[in-house]
Amino acid sequence: MENSTFSLKQLQNWMQGMLVHHEPLENGNAEVPVMVEQVVNSSKRLSAVRHMDIYRYSYIARLRACMQSQFSALAYALGSELFELFADQYLDTYPSESYTLNTLGEKFPAFLEETRPDAGQEEKETWPDFMIELAGFEYALSVIFDERANENSTVTPNNTPDELLVPAPVLHLFHYQYPICDYYLEYSQGKEPELPFPEESYCAVTRHNYKLGLFTIRGAQYYFLKSMQQGNTVENAKNDLVKTFNFSRAEVDKIWPEWKKSFIEAGFFIAKNIKGP
Amino acid sequence: MTEQRDSYSDVIRSLPNPGLGLGLRSKHFNYILEHNPEVDWFEVISENFMDSGGRPHHILRQLAERYPVVMHGVSLSIGSTDPLNKEYLTKLKLLAKEIKPLWISDHLCWTGVNSLNTHDLLPIVLNEESLKHICNRINRVQDFLHRPLVFENPSTYLTFKQSTINEWDFLRYMTEETGCGLLLDVNNVYVSAFNNDFDPVHYIHQLPHSRIVQMHIAGHQHCGTHIIDTHDRQVVQEVWKLFTLAWHLTGGVATLLEWDSNIPDFEVYHAELLKAKQHMSSIFDMELNPEKQEYSEEAVSNPVNFMINDIVVN
Repeated sequence: MENSTFSLKQLQNWMQGMLVHHEPLENGNAEVPVMVEQVVNSSKRLSAVRHMDIYRYSYIARLRACMQSQFSALAYALGSELFELFADQYLDTYPSESYTLNTLGEKFPAFLEETRPDAGQEEKETWPDFMIELAGFEYALSVIFDERANENSTVTPNNTPDELLVPAPVLHLFHYQYPICDYYLEYSQGKEPELPFPEESYCAVTRHNYKLGLFTIRGAQYYFLKSMQQGNTVENAKNDLVKTFNFSRAEVDKIWPEWKKSFIEAGFFIAKNIKGP
Repeated sequence: MTEQRDSYSDVIRSLPNPGLGLGLRSKHFNYILEHNPEVDWFEVISENFMDSGGRPHHILRQLAERYPVVMHGVSLSIGSTDPLNKEYLTKLKLLAKEIKPLWISDHLCWTGVNSLNTHDLLPIVLNEESLKHICNRINRVQDFLHRPLVFENPSTYLTFKQSTINEWDFLRYMTEETGCGLLLDVNNVYVSAFNNDFDPVHYIHQLPHSRIVQMHIAGHQHCGTHIIDTHDRQVVQEVWKLFTLAWHLTGGVATLLEWDSNIPDFEVYHAELLKAKQHMSSIFDMELNPEKQEYSEEAVSNPVNFMINDIVVN
């Protein structure tokens, strides 16, 4: 194909193909792949292919590093070699469609699920479940960190009447089959956590003064807070607990002051009258 | 159209020179807010803040109250054959309305087609077709934003056989056709010149100096056969020489030091910027004698700092 027949669009399609798909693409008007030498000049020190390779290498290396940064705990858990393998396959399958790199890993947890190594086997291994949950948690943290919300910088007094308590603007609840929050916290504190055994876990994530707070909570607390997030009052959420867990009302009322104190201190609640518009 | 172009040109000519600035990096957020360092202005990466509802946005609001700010983008993709991204432009406009930057800049490049983003500043084919295409898009973006844009020469690692216009002429035509301004990245000129066999001194001489409103300086990695624009170290002497030349030719414009990888403590970063003062008053030495550098094969171009938020956990 003569050089002069390349339109701007064809040329950009071709170059992007070289970067994203790692190999020369067929030109729309030709049966044969376009060679780099047909499009790119060589220079005193480098061939045309070497010139193109600088972009090809940088493309995957830069995005892989971004993935590593967004999923640092997962990269630790998988080990860098395996993480890179998954990250490269992911970037190949779901190249970025966004103007921001903050959403680069948005589909990564789903991708890990789609491509789990035991997909075709009847008996599933357990470690992929842990990795998928950890990936989802890490991505969720990055979203919560930067989500738009009325920032809660006011201290809610411990003696706030129950009827005034509402969930904080940034309160996210998670339920996992593995102790994901504990693992993440250990990793982020510079420890070297071992791969955990399956163990149902619950956690709450808050944001106070633009910093995230991560808390492991109990199952009953998770359901109680979920109920309040659905618009229920403290009273109704207590009733839900009684129904769901077969607790006696007396038991719930007895534990409530302790929960209330720790929930307020953790920033799960704010008082209605100081909630933003 | 001519009237609008002239009005943009007038705005570009009237832009102030705020002095010596630094790129805002998340690593330095706390230091800047606590110490109010004597930096003349800050450049922020637009994409890091236009969707932010958390700490980055909170920091930027405070910073913009204390310092002049310039918005520098990496995803406008002015050279792409994809349609302009209206959502992106709307958010850019909203951010500008809020923080009132001195100007908004981006790069002469494309970042992707078919709705993909490679997150790299890819090189433009420099010919009449692309010049027309890009000028048309610049006009549309400027009219949408109601302000002229400023475009930076990117580091390039290849040239196209189909290119028929020199980059310095291409930039000149762009300014003439649209009224836009230029951000001269002196390090990028040095990098591209080495990689693509042209004379960086000639390049800088040929630019329309009255259209340059800002300069970038940065460090790079020499790989022996080519140079990668890594923004991860001090500025080399050869780039400082080109800066001196550009400073004299432009009469002195806003100057910013980029540092996007291996980012040092704020004081080190600031000290490197202040070296510019001694080079402003130097006499340009036409001899460019590349100093001996450590070569490395494993460099990744780093046109901007990674736009992944550093999550702060209590």
